[in-house]
Amino acid sequence: MKEKSLLSAGLAILRRTKRYVIWFFLLNLTLASMGAAVFRLNAGAVLNNSLESAKLTQGFDLATFIELLARPEVGSMQAMHASSFDFAFLFFLLTLFFLPGVFLGYASDHRLPRPEFFRACGQNFWRFIRILIFYLFIAGIPIGILFGIQKGIDKAADRSTNELLPFTLEMICLGIIFLVAMFFRAWFDQAEVEIVLRDQNAVRRTIGPARRRTSFGLWAAYLFIALLAGIFLIIGLWLWHSIVPPSSVLGAFIVGQLTMLVWLKMRFWQRACAVVHYEREQEMPVVEAYPSPVTPAGAVQA
Amino acid sequence: MTLRPLAAVGLCVCMLSAGSLAEPAATAPGLSIPNTVSAINSPTPMSQRVVHYEIDAKYDPKTHQLDGAETLTYHNLTGQPLDTFPFHLYLNAFQPKATWIRETKRDGTRDTSFEKWEDKNYGSDEIKGFEVVGQGELTSQLQYIQPDDNNKDDKTVIQIKLPKPIPPDGYVQFKIKFHDQFPETLERTGYKRDFLLAGQWFPKVGVWIHGGWNCHQFHGATEFFADFGVYDVNITVPQNEVVGASGVRVADTKNGDGTETYAYHGDDIHDFAWTASPRYMIKDDVYQGTMGPVALHIMMQPAHWSQAQRHDEILQNTLKRFEAWYGPYPYKTLTLVDPEPGSAAEGMEYPTFITGGTAWWMPKGIYLPELVIEHEFGHQYWYGMVATNEFEDAWMDEGINSYTEVKVLDDILGKNTSILNIMRVKMGEREQQRLGYIRDPDFDPMTRKGWLFFDYGSYADVTYGKTASVLVTLESVIGEDTMRKAMHEYFMKYRFTHPVPEDFLKTIEEVSGKDLRWYFNQAVYGTNVMDYEVLKIDSSPTDWWKPNFKESKKPGETEYESEVIVHRKGDFVMPLDILVKFDNGDSVREHWDGQDRWIRYSYDKKAKVASAEVDPDHKNWLDRNFFNNSKTAEPDGTATRKLANYWTFVSEFFGQFLAGWLI
Repeated sequence: MKEKSLLSAGLAILRRTKRYVIWFFLLNLTLASMGAAVFRLNAGAVLNNSLESAKLTQGFDLATFIELLARPEVGSMQAMHASSFDFAFLFFLLTLFFLPGVFLGYASDHRLPRPEFFRACGQNFWRFIRILIFYLFIAGIPIGILFGIQKGIDKAADRSTNELLPFTLEMICLGIIFLVAMFFRAWFDQAEVEIVLRDQNAVRRTIGPARRRTSFGLWAAYLFIALLAGIFLIIGLWLWHSIVPPSSVLGAFIVGQLTMLVWLKMRFWQRACAVVHYEREQEMPVVEAYPSPVTPAGAVQA
Repeated sequence: MTLRPLAAVGLCVCMLSAGSLAEPAATAPGLSIPNTVSAINSPTPMSQRVVHYEIDAKYDPKTHQLDGAETLTYHNLTGQPLDTFPFHLYLNAFQPKATWIRETKRDGTRDTSFEKWEDKNYGSDEIKGFEVVGQGELTSQLQYIQPDDNNKDDKTVIQIKLPKPIPPDGYVQFKIKFHDQFPETLERTGYKRDFLLAGQWFPKVGVWIHGGWNCHQFHGATEFFADFGVYDVNITVPQNEVVGASGVRVADTKNGDGTETYAYHGDDIHDFAWTASPRYMIKDDVYQGTMGPVALHIMMQPAHWSQAQRHDEILQNTLKRFEAWYGPYPYKTLTLVDPEPGSAAEGMEYPTFITGGTAWWMPKGIYLPELVIEHEFGHQYWYGMVATNEFEDAWMDEGINSYTEVKVLDDILGKNTSILNIMRVKMGEREQQRLGYIRDPDFDPMTRKGWLFFDYGSYADVTYGKTASVLVTLESVIGEDTMRKAMHEYFMKYRFTHPVPEDFLKTIEEVSGKDLRWYFNQAVYGTNVMDYEVLKIDSSPTDWWKPNFKESKKPGETEYESEVIVHRKGDFVMPLDILVKFDNGDSVREHWDGQDRWIRYSYDKKAKVASAEVDPDHKNWLDRNFFNNSKTAEPDGTATRKLANYWTFVSEFFGQFLAGWLI
């Protein structure tokens, strides 16, 4: 039988394990809502009983919005940004915590019981922190150098009398950085998959083999999905702008959240592809870390 | 020039003494200021001409240096002998210890914040020779003076004392050789790559007014004040350069050495600027003005060529409204320069010569090019013709111009969309001006001298934003039509003169027939801040005390005692209207003189108060907080939810970005 393409196999896993994406989506939405709560409360105190708020409901009057942000009652932008950043960081930490369970679930051909899911999360949390540190060093240095080169090119291009040249070169540089960053992401996704599926405590030892496994095919699959994510984001924003009436908060919420859901799904698709790729690249059969062929009756599913 | 009696001497901070006049008066024979009219659509001169500049300038784009020979003929219309003459040498401002650099480093300016000094920042204007015809070579007699801040390192004003004074109505001719080094544009003037904007580039004599010389140093925010006259300028540049300048081009000569000389003539102007770049693309058009045709010379950057028509349209539309509302544009030309990107020379005004500012990507719904072009063209009226002293009364120049900018752009691009109208995001020009005002409403009065403001932010916000808001709000007091008539009257009466604040304010009072001192004292001369709020709205049943009383759910059955309290939080007093709406659809419009700190309105009706709003017609743009101008009985959280939804979306996106790329 012909083997499924990486993208198709990844998509099949994604379909089978929809619940992970849904949970992460709800987690992201909840935390983002909590991050926006300070703004909601403060802005509400100024807007809710003022007729001036109509300028923001029927369309979007930028001057009114700027004036709102300048009101002392709304508080400092710095504090509101900090609140949102804190919750975004919390989402990042929780993703770091739950991701091992997701990888295990992707590799499993059955619905992973909740204890196994959380056991994988707990057992690999510290390992994922360590691999993150390696990632920041190994990917950060070349990407930092590339940004430095880009800055140099920008400076040189600024001397040109061709006004479009700096922008064109900047876009090319950012494109190259994006492609390189995508390679590093695929590489370290491979390392993360190996850490979980092989129960590898010495995370350093996963980096070399993961690099060797990061083929052009995997990178191309990542790139394809990333481009698709970009397209979906543009479509989502376009729909938001063109079909949702300015005063429809619910419509904007639905379109916005659908866009975020699809966006999140794309990244999980990449991770599913990473698991498939890892499994196909393994010469030795992968032994499930915590085999549990039979779910006891009445057990709660994760 | 408006001449004032000597009694007004004390009003002028930087007046320089005319000195003791021991020597007999002398005047060079055969001198005069030309009565030419070839650059204006008028059969006779329109200004009282005081100066005639004849300048030969040779520019080297490789070194960014210029050698100039200037002949200045000055007509002494001061009514007294003059033996002292101050001159601006403004390119000397671009030196690390100069007042301009000090002020901009301390206060900021529109373009520059200095982290380090670089050689390319250096600019200078050196006098190589200074001869007074009939009195000899006086270069060694020149002295730098610092009338504003006593900064001995500032060399932006130089003074000469003549051996023999110039008698009243006499003439004097100065022959000056000078050498310029242009800076890479930090702001306003200089070069960027192969582009040059030459402003403030030649020695320019000060203005005798109010019984003394007015010749300020080059400051962080202000730079303009000069006498009207005639300019004949020859500019020699390499042949590949495309040149544009103030006035009318009268000759173009190839010199045979790879250079070309362009001759320009200007009538009834008080400054001269020019530009050169090998890459300009030119769009010429003609505007049919009320006094005659005006040649529009639009000099575009190649990457912006697709916006040439956009530049032309806003220029023509602006001209049309200025002519219809304020008065005729008398000049035969207007040159609009689209300057080199990143040159910090965007948005500048010189007589018959302005710079715009755009970018290659500028979409149609973002009206920044229109805003800049309209604003700079407006300066042809409020600076160019009504030649106020920008140093001392910047609000009469930038501020009145910002007010007419609101009126003109609102008319062309729509009241709430004249800055931005893209993807449902809107912003009007009057809102933009008000945003400036509410940032810094109380540090400085509008009448503060330009270099004495708290900082550049306060200068810009008060001079532009507050003045525009004050004049827009004034319309609610005297009426929009009356205000327009007053502006027209002011322009026609004071064009080609140097009016002072009271000239403008009295014109408004005369045209409106109203005593407006109460308003001007607070808004123009004061720092009073206006903030009226609807403090409380409340409705309670009249029969609440009766046993077994039950409030009916049906509207119109229960009688209520309602009250609305309006509070004056600020120290600016202004009469205002209050609109009270009831839940049965009725409404009442109240008028309050705004004097007391608060006022209570009571109503007995079979309806509850639904909302109350101060200034329901939204005519008052000086109130610093629009949100508390109204209060509703029932909250409506739609706007909050909408904004919170945006905020949540962006936070989610950021969270996903972080988690997606790092793990």
